[in-house]
Amino acid sequence: MGCGALGSRVSEELARSGCGFLRIIDRDFIELSNLQRQVLFTEKDVRDNLPKAFAARRHLEEINSGVTIEDIVDDLNYSTADKYLSGADIILDGTDNLEVRMLINDYAQKNRIPYIYGAAVSSYGNSMNIIPGRTPCLRCLFPLLPPPGEVDTCDTAGVISPIPGVIACIEAAEAIKLLSGNPGELRESLLFIDLWSGRFNTYSVKPEPGCECCAAGNYEYLTPEKGKKITTLCGRNAVQITPASGENVNFEDLREKLHPIAEVEGNKFILKFTLDGCGISVFKNGRAIIQGTSDVNRARSLYSRYIGE
Amino acid sequence: MSTENKIIYFDNAATSWPKPEPVYESLGSFLREKGANPGRSGHRMAQAAERAIDGTRNLVSSFLGVGSPERIIFTLNCTDALNIAIHGTVKKSSHVITTSLEHNSVTRVLNELRERKSVEITIIEPSEEGYIDPDNIRKSIRKNTSLIAINHGSNVTGALQDAGETALISRKKGIPFLLDAAQSAGAAPLDLGALGVSLCALPGHKGLLGPTGTGILYVSEDLEISSFRQGGTGTDSASPRHPDKYPFHLEAGTPNTSGIAALGEGIRYVADNFDSIIKREKELLGFLLEELGKTGGIRVYGPRSSEKRVGTISLNAEGWSPDDLGAVLDENFNIAVRTGLHCAPGAHRGLGTFPEGTVRVSCGPFNTEEEAEKLLSALREAVKL
Repeated sequence: MGCGALGSRVSEELARSGCGFLRIIDRDFIELSNLQRQVLFTEKDVRDNLPKAFAARRHLEEINSGVTIEDIVDDLNYSTADKYLSGADIILDGTDNLEVRMLINDYAQKNRIPYIYGAAVSSYGNSMNIIPGRTPCLRCLFPLLPPPGEVDTCDTAGVISPIPGVIACIEAAEAIKLLSGNPGELRESLLFIDLWSGRFNTYSVKPEPGCECCAAGNYEYLTPEKGKKITTLCGRNAVQITPASGENVNFEDLREKLHPIAEVEGNKFILKFTLDGCGISVFKNGRAIIQGTSDVNRARSLYSRYIGE
Repeated sequence: MSTENKIIYFDNAATSWPKPEPVYESLGSFLREKGANPGRSGHRMAQAAERAIDGTRNLVSSFLGVGSPERIIFTLNCTDALNIAIHGTVKKSSHVITTSLEHNSVTRVLNELRERKSVEITIIEPSEEGYIDPDNIRKSIRKNTSLIAINHGSNVTGALQDAGETALISRKKGIPFLLDAAQSAGAAPLDLGALGVSLCALPGHKGLLGPTGTGILYVSEDLEISSFRQGGTGTDSASPRHPDKYPFHLEAGTPNTSGIAALGEGIRYVADNFDSIIKREKELLGFLLEELGKTGGIRVYGPRSSEKRVGTISLNAEGWSPDDLGAVLDENFNIAVRTGLHCAPGAHRGLGTFPEGTVRVSCGPFNTEEEAEKLLSALREAVKL
């Protein structure tokens, strides 16, 4: 799920390993700045303005024609989760935000599907195998989403190419254990790697007895209540995105994060900046109005990249 | 900055809120006590449901000053009523007169007919203040004009059109006249009998204070229109054809019984308090218009006076896009307004506010001067930045 730096590498590893069927889901199109770390794609893909999932399928079919690959160019959310995730033997994480990971986690727990979590930014990354009924779930680790603007994203903090590669290869290795019938060999700890300081740590994680997801069985991210509310605004080329949490954004932090990549203006009510040809207004409780597009998927991407969560 | 959690609701042009207490009460009690299907069965509960529907029908007809309750059709909403009226009257290759102030619920229906039935459309432009000159309508009439459709109160500027003059013109020429009373019903005097309007579409959930999912179409007795949808009516079931008898001719399927019963309570409230509602809205509107006029950096569009208008004000603030300002009013001041084009792009083209639109403040019967003060102070604070 997701075909950026993590997803493109995971899918390449699995295709080369001869995994029989791969479904690649990603809503985004390839941009020049992606090539620094998204190893499956080329400058020609950028020139051809190809969706990531589509381009990945074409490259992977050239690498191993024996693998059946399905590409889905769409957003994964509560209304599409069943359509795109049902029937999977395993879900591999190539996403870029915690909200969609929570959705995958809910779906995987509800339908007893193993989910290999992975995330990378800057020079560090995490991975954990989430096996329903056996290991803690992602919500045991992160009971709440952080407020918008608080977490680093690859577009605000940057990312060095090797770290998503390392995390992706670890995810692929765990998947190979499972798909080859060796579930007993799966790592049960949370792995943390920082390539800059050279730290490779594992942490033992316990299931939370009060976990909303794996203990209580409340799969909230699979309902319209929990995720972001998307509204295409009346008449204008603009999309409004409102997070469900309503937690306040720290404007100073966000301004600082965006400072290297955009000119940020605003006042105590609003932060405004322009990136990728879209004017973005961010409000106190994380609502954003993305101007210059009526494409909901593009607006969601811009939110994940520049505001985060 | 307001820290209260109570929302200040200035979006009554979209749907009114809050509703009078009996409306809430009726929704619950109707479903509990009279939740049968009206007109389909003979048992007491079905009869009670039918009585409630007929009761609302009677209330509507007397509120609108028409003597024939059977000519009051219950619809899903105002858009549905407009669709029934337009599709039922406009003939193939005929001509329709309308205005650039219309909501998409009229323009999109007409555009569809232009494509499907080769209908020609004349669009009348308003004056700078937003008023349509009925004489321009008269001059546009052709031999094959099959409908004149105009908006009564503008959902963008609040301008209230002279429906009587247009009704007179259409009567003389024998052309059906459709009045879109989406914004005026319950917010301005609307005596359809005296006006001589042949078709009028009204929402139940705006100025009439009923719940969403309710609308009304009035069809005058001297006008026959073709049925829009056919099906079960509970009457004349042996007939293979949909009945010609009103209201069944234009109603098919189980109606929104609880909603219609609750709408009756809304209309009762409006009818009982009509003069004070109008007076209060006018005072509030006058106050807002005056204060906004004095506030630097705020531009108000449409009529300057509180006469000949409904309780809607469109404005823009210097340095703010309407969407951004609306979001700030919501998040930082708990004030609900609507922003953008308000489904009426033609009106914005005329005002020069296309495509960004405006911030729309729409007053209802329960807005207070204190709320208006809070809105003004929020706008002043935003403009200062």
